[in-house]
Amino acid sequence: MRRPGLRTRVTAGFATGALVLSASMAALSYDLTRRTLTAGRERTAIRAAYQDATVVHAGLGTDRPDIVEVLRSLDTGGTRRAILRRDGDWYARNADSGLTDSVPASLRRMVEQGRPAIQRVRTDSGPALVIGVPLPESTGFYVIDSLQELDRTLRVLALVLTLVAIGTTAAGAGLGWYVTRRALRPLDTVAAAAREITAGDLDARLDPSTEPDLERLATSFNEMVDQLAARLDRDRRFAADVSHELRSPLQTLAAATGVLDRYRSQLDQRAATAVTLLTEEVARFQMLVTDLLELARGDEAPRRTPVDMADLARQVCLTRGLSADLVHAGEGSTVWRVDRRRFTQVLGNLLDNADRHGGGARAVRLGRAADVVFLEVDDDGPGVRPEDRDVIFDRFVRGRPARARGDSDGTGLGLALVHRHVTTHGGRVFVTDRPGGGARFRVELPQDQV
Amino acid sequence: MRSMPAVLLIEDDDRIRLSLTLGLEDEGYAVRGAASAEEGLAAQRREPADTVLVDLMLPGVDGFECIRQLRRHDDVPIVVVSARDDTHDIVAALEAGADDYLVKPVAVKELSARLRALRRRARSALSPASALVFGDLEIRPLAGEVTLRGQPVALTRTEFRLLCALAEHPGQVLSRAQLLERVWEYAYGDERLVDVHVGRLRHKIEDDPGAPRYLVTVRGMGYKLQR
Repeated sequence: MRRPGLRTRVTAGFATGALVLSASMAALSYDLTRRTLTAGRERTAIRAAYQDATVVHAGLGTDRPDIVEVLRSLDTGGTRRAILRRDGDWYARNADSGLTDSVPASLRRMVEQGRPAIQRVRTDSGPALVIGVPLPESTGFYVIDSLQELDRTLRVLALVLTLVAIGTTAAGAGLGWYVTRRALRPLDTVAAAAREITAGDLDARLDPSTEPDLERLATSFNEMVDQLAARLDRDRRFAADVSHELRSPLQTLAAATGVLDRYRSQLDQRAATAVTLLTEEVARFQMLVTDLLELARGDEAPRRTPVDMADLARQVCLTRGLSADLVHAGEGSTVWRVDRRRFTQVLGNLLDNADRHGGGARAVRLGRAADVVFLEVDDDGPGVRPEDRDVIFDRFVRGRPARARGDSDGTGLGLALVHRHVTTHGGRVFVTDRPGGGARFRVELPQDQV
Repeated sequence: MRSMPAVLLIEDDDRIRLSLTLGLEDEGYAVRGAASAEEGLAAQRREPADTVLVDLMLPGVDGFECIRQLRRHDDVPIVVVSARDDTHDIVAALEAGADDYLVKPVAVKELSARLRALRRRARSALSPASALVFGDLEIRPLAGEVTLRGQPVALTRTEFRLLCALAEHPGQVLSRAQLLERVWEYAYGDERLVDVHVGRLRHKIEDDPGAPRYLVTVRGMGYKLQR
């Protein structure tokens, strides 16, 4: 799995930090608040219960007291309810028996043993405190004090604290995102400079003074580009020197063998054969050097002009002694924006290839498909085996028929050059079987670029 | 018998000079060799050749400067034969005034065909006496004269042939390929030849070469000469 980006990781880190911090703060303050409020509430409840108990105690002091009436005289407000148990009977202000179930047995026992007790219980209407106060004459006075309000307050508090924690986490993530963006912005400048250099602008440099923290990066980046530019320049000069040093003796060879060739008829048989060999090999060597030099500089950007490819294909056919009728142009315009010199070579090399290895060209077809324009050269040969179909575009790979024939074959660079030229035009070239036998070389260029 | 056309060959490499001399002599040229630009310029002043072949990398005065100095008072066809195949060099040499550019190694037969093409007079199917008039521009194909508002314009032979090729079809677009074929007799070739020559021609016949009035570019198609 791919490791998440720096920015994602920093953002996640910030978010986690904010979450842990805000969650623990929220938990802590919730707990503290809950304790304080509950303790306060209990104190109030106990005080009120004892006051009630005092009133009840006084009321019961009379002769034959009406217990229910005594209970009714209590000012219990909306939250407290008082009940009394005397001699195993329950007394309440209203006849709601459910209330008596709220008093746990254990608490009742404690009260009956003469000890006051307090316990949190859960009644039908929510949480409540049950306070039991023992009164004389085996009487227990109980107050059930509803904690609903406290409960609601605590719930609101929890909700607020949760929301705050979520908000803090989101803010943390946002901060992380922002900080990394700020921190990574100078790297965008570096990336932009690198892109410019890739596009061929070797003058692009970074200004070390704009971002003091990244001065070392900028300085070493600039040094790298300086060295790269120097090396490229050296390479270019070397290539130019090689080109000159190879072309000059070839010129002498070409002119001198031309002269020799002219006088071949005046030479004896052996010398004439030698001259023929010499002339042919010089011609082949010339092609090889020209192709190699072309390959060496082949990644220069193409010089695109509108070229009528059907016209060009016919011309190239004619220069190779082929009929212009080989060219079939489909519907629509055959004008492509390409480097004319390079496509002349593409056409020429494909036709030469068909001639050398494919028993001659059968057809040259031009047309348009979905979003490409294409050029096809069909031949009459044995076709290309599937395992060879990529290899044949490599340098110095020659087809087998040519080797078997043993005569002067090509330079082994023709298809490599085709591949290079088509690629620098943003297209692709591949070979398939022609329906009915033979090979079909197909060049495709994206339609929006031609 | 017609006298042999004279070729001045400015080339510092002795072997190339010797082999090209042998080859061109076989093709029927009288070849004079020069090992430097200075020597070549002096030879051309003393005894003008019909065509000049020049290398670009020469000791002392280089090929570009040599072409410029030759052009100063000569309309002789100049062909560059150089080992340099860089676009910059090709365009610079053509802008300096060369008529054609061949990259070494070049076969003598090919070289001879180029020289023959450049030495040919402008062909014209039009009646010899009449002048072709384009506004203030008057072209007399047979006399080899061009005047702008009555003043003679000095054109090289190739520039003149290019102008005539366009003038024969007033207002009609000729593609670069057509012009290459008609002026340089190339079946197919380097279209930069046409572009640079059109530029040179504009500097001579247009008041504002940047906004041409006569020799206009038709985008994606070619050039035309309009009245």
